[in-house]
Amino acid sequence: MRIALLILSRLLKVAAILLVIITANFLLIHAAPGDPAAVMAGEAGAADEKFLAQLREQFSLDKPLYEQLAIYVGKVMQFDLGYSYRQQMPVADLIFDRLPATLLLTFSAFLISLTAGVALGALAAARAGGWADTAITSAALIFYATPLYWLALMAVLLFSVQLEWLPGFGYETIGSNATGFARAWDIAQHLILPAVTLGTFFAAVYLRMTRAAMLEVAGLDFVKTARAKGLSRQLVMRRHVLRNALLPVVTLAGVQAGQLVGGAVLTETVFAWPGIGRLMFEALTQRDYNLLLGVFFISAAMVILFNIITDLIYGVVDPRIGAAA
Amino acid sequence: MSAATSQTMERKSASAAGAPSPVLDVLALTIALPSAADREHAVRDVSFVLWPGEILCMVGESGSGKSMCANALMGLLPSSVRITSGRAMFDGQDLTQLSEAQWMGLRGARIAMIFQEPMTALNPLMRIGDQIAEVFEAHGRLTPSERRARILALIAEVGLPEPEKIARAYPFQLSGGQRQRAMIAMALALEPAILIADEPTTALDVTTQAQILRLIRDLQKRHGMAVLFITHDLGVVREIASRVIVMRHGTVVEQGAVTDVLERPQHPYTKALIAAMPSEVVASASGVKADPVLRVRDLRKTYRTGGGLFRPAREVKAIDGVSFEIARGEVLGLVGESGSGKSTVGRAIVRLIEADGGQIFVGGEDMSGLHSDALRRARHRVQMVFQDPYASLNPRRKVAGAIAAGPIARGTPPAKAMERALSVLETVGLDRAAGERYPHEFSGGQRQRIGIARVLALDPELIIADEAVSALDVSIQAQILDLLRDLRARLGLSLLFITHDLRVAAQLCDRVAVMQNGRIVEIGPAADIFLKPQHDYTKSLLAAVPGLAWREAAREPA
Amino acid sequence: MSAFWKRFSRNRGAVLGLIILAVVIAIAIVAPILYPQSPWKMVQRPFLQPFTLPAFPLGTDTLGRDVASGLAHGARVSLLIGIVSTFVALLIGVPIGAIAGFAGGRIDDALMRLTELFQTVPNFALAIVLVAIFQPSLASIVMAIAVVSWPPVARLVRAEVLSLKTREFVDAARLAGLSGRAILMREVLPNALSPIIVMASLMVATAILVESSLSFLGLGDPNAMSWGFMIGAARTVIRNAWWLSFFPGLAILLTVLALNLIGEGLSDALNPRLAREGR
Repeated sequence: MRIALLILSRLLKVAAILLVIITANFLLIHAAPGDPAAVMAGEAGAADEKFLAQLREQFSLDKPLYEQLAIYVGKVMQFDLGYSYRQQMPVADLIFDRLPATLLLTFSAFLISLTAGVALGALAAARAGGWADTAITSAALIFYATPLYWLALMAVLLFSVQLEWLPGFGYETIGSNATGFARAWDIAQHLILPAVTLGTFFAAVYLRMTRAAMLEVAGLDFVKTARAKGLSRQLVMRRHVLRNALLPVVTLAGVQAGQLVGGAVLTETVFAWPGIGRLMFEALTQRDYNLLLGVFFISAAMVILFNIITDLIYGVVDPRIGAAA
Repeated sequence: MSAATSQTMERKSASAAGAPSPVLDVLALTIALPSAADREHAVRDVSFVLWPGEILCMVGESGSGKSMCANALMGLLPSSVRITSGRAMFDGQDLTQLSEAQWMGLRGARIAMIFQEPMTALNPLMRIGDQIAEVFEAHGRLTPSERRARILALIAEVGLPEPEKIARAYPFQLSGGQRQRAMIAMALALEPAILIADEPTTALDVTTQAQILRLIRDLQKRHGMAVLFITHDLGVVREIASRVIVMRHGTVVEQGAVTDVLERPQHPYTKALIAAMPSEVVASASGVKADPVLRVRDLRKTYRTGGGLFRPAREVKAIDGVSFEIARGEVLGLVGESGSGKSTVGRAIVRLIEADGGQIFVGGEDMSGLHSDALRRARHRVQMVFQDPYASLNPRRKVAGAIAAGPIARGTPPAKAMERALSVLETVGLDRAAGERYPHEFSGGQRQRIGIARVLALDPELIIADEAVSALDVSIQAQILDLLRDLRARLGLSLLFITHDLRVAAQLCDRVAVMQNGRIVEIGPAADIFLKPQHDYTKSLLAAVPGLAWREAAREPA
Repeated sequence: MSAFWKRFSRNRGAVLGLIILAVVIAIAIVAPILYPQSPWKMVQRPFLQPFTLPAFPLGTDTLGRDVASGLAHGARVSLLIGIVSTFVALLIGVPIGAIAGFAGGRIDDALMRLTELFQTVPNFALAIVLVAIFQPSLASIVMAIAVVSWPPVARLVRAEVLSLKTREFVDAARLAGLSGRAILMREVLPNALSPIIVMASLMVATAILVESSLSFLGLGDPNAMSWGFMIGAARTVIRNAWWLSFFPGLAILLTVLALNLIGEGLSDALNPRLAREGR
């Protein structure tokens, strides 16, 4: 019963946030320089007088602001995110068409970054002060300072152009009509570079956090108790230190969710990955504001969903949460 | 004769008489500190012997090296600290020469250790039963079902109720005393020959401490363990030890049987330590005037926690109708354990917390009705000295500035306020030059003096000391108590002295009020409370004070 | 002060970072002297390889513009935007965090809800939207970065103030009759300064990364030759002209790395108790 009520209150909170974002979108359209209808129509659509008139009617742009807001919110609730004149498709369709690709990319990157980051961070902490530690933390520092899109470009240059090991563009080989397992393998090959690139940056983040958390936990009293029981150093590291050190890492993962989605924009642009990040880039170059705001809204929703998942994971891992205070 | 010589003689005579050999024989142990430390050795030339079936107390103040010794005997020294010479013979092996693999075999199985802070000494993410099971796992003993049975038996043996529930519980669901019992269960699991206890009761309430001490004594007798008990409290030594070692700055100053060392101390440091230990009831000073400087009537404070949409709120009555008076020039002690509400009363009187009901009269004026500006102007009349010397001074302000801030806020011209600050520093026994320094340049005891100086600069009518000496070493504690006594005699101060330590209260207070669960259960002259307690709780509190009963018995007219 | 420098210089990485940053700042300052002509000017044939002509050590780009000149002028843009947007973010975040932490209660709740909201939204996406809607310019970029960066500052300041608020010297100040404002300004905030300074240096690094990412996507100020823009303009010709992407990226990497190293050095120097060597 308590769990159900907890979920309910969480959902209410989510709904509130989404409502605020929708309102913000609405306000941005009206805050932009120029005629709101032209803003919504985008550069291409603004040239078409008939389209503009249609928009003005659809969104009742002559009515008072709060009525317009109600209409706008109502449309979004029905998944009507507007129409992209340039691409001649409803925005919602465009987005949901490309969403799976982005989900694939971001989840792969997340998994890679988490496993690599935690593993290397734990290793660095275990050998703190030694050469392995210095090498790992220096590498992390450098990757942390590297612009993501530049890393992507260099990766393409090295692995795709020079070494020709991996494809550098797109989702799958154009023209191949492979199906089933062969197709999955093709996609996987195209996925490697973008996922690893996106994952590397965040791996550096998790690495630093894991290392710092482990060093801090290693100094706590209960670790001494564990050693006093006669447990081996490895067992103490694994069972006592790592498990407790993972708590802040899980929290961090939730916070980083927003960055991950943002990073997808850059990665998809460089690798021509057909996801919503790339869609956002196209919307920018085409000055298609409706599409832009639509992608923004969906990515915010993605982040919120991700946060809920990490909160649930945290609640499972830490027994102190969930038990009545 | 030197400590080492007497020890050798002891050993020789024991073996000559056919007595059992010592379970642990430490000879000239020296542990070096890293070069950046403030002294060269943590421990130097320490020799002692631990006999089977006895409790040996290692006593010393902070920095005496006693914890380092204990860590060395478990092979748990930090990596920057090394044993440079000496031997520690156990079971025919020299502990100083063991490899990590050999240590893993000994730790938990033959030598076990329990620590000071029960709140942090258990892994918060593992169940109690699992943590005890780890001891068996580490040494590959017993099948899983045997382990389960043994764990439940252990939990029951250390006096925890409902062993099934405790085994499945997480540490945060247990109280401090319960966690300490769980730690003891873990230590006992494989029936070690030696139990090292590093200040296990220091962080506990007096009554809980008494229970844990009793438990350790019983278990030790039942299992025939040798116990090395580290503490800073001579009262605990009196309570449970058969022999005692006194340590200071890393060397052994004196050792021997408890009665010998405590009744006929040889070394001046041991004498000073015993003298500093508050155990006598000091005759109350006369000259207490009639009119009350503080009158508290029916004070109330209830805390409400939780109470979201779906959970009922929990109410805790921190102060449940407290009334008392303090006469001008009098020292009233407010004594109780944690959770009794004594600190809350203090904070409510100075309005750091807002009480829910009741009245506070200072010098006849009702302070409880004052607010914002009027309150700020009247605040100087009641001041507080805090417990933690390291948190009670702003690290970024020079001492004189911190002291002068109060008078300046009251409108005193800055030059005059600074002059007052410097003169008040002298009053508490520090140099005027101290005013130009920052807090981190002073020791704990000196910082408490500065805290007292800050309070005096405001010319208060009443001073509340909220556990003002609890965080200090025993010898420093004695100095600060002397200072307070001296100031009281010279300046006619009125004091509300809040403490959990009855012995300290006996040193300073004219009257004592005993609090339990938000209520005052007994109040009266100090001598009466200590020698003729009326309320059951007071009696149990006194009985729990380590060493007091022994002392009383010793002082019985022959 | 000298004790601080001693602790700082003990961290070799931090000293290295300081040197690198000093070089970057120096280049930014002398850029108009070294390269008086606008970096937008076409000065040679396009696609000149680097290290071939001594006058153009880093080659030229797709339209024959001097890469070295672009780098030098880009340093000014990056540092300017990095510092100004961090300053604005601090101007927003520090008061919000301080008031939330100090006042507590409903004010704290409300301000934290606001902070949470900004943190839930994907930062970079929001920055893109803001700059796109308000048309790219130095001002809109600075504003967008500031709007996206202030929540972590507010969180940090609030946490510091909360922990300081319960320290006994604050109680003592209250008992001495100091007003709430005086306590916040004279007792609490000076003790919260160290983590704010450390965070500020890291924020400048992040701001430079965000600005370059925005420019890469074409959302940079059209009049400012920034490093990100250079990389973005060279994206399609990367196979033939690797140096057009490489050098500006390296410049960003070194600058951001230097700032991060300095940030860590500051953290160690200002918090000697938390220094790396675990006790």
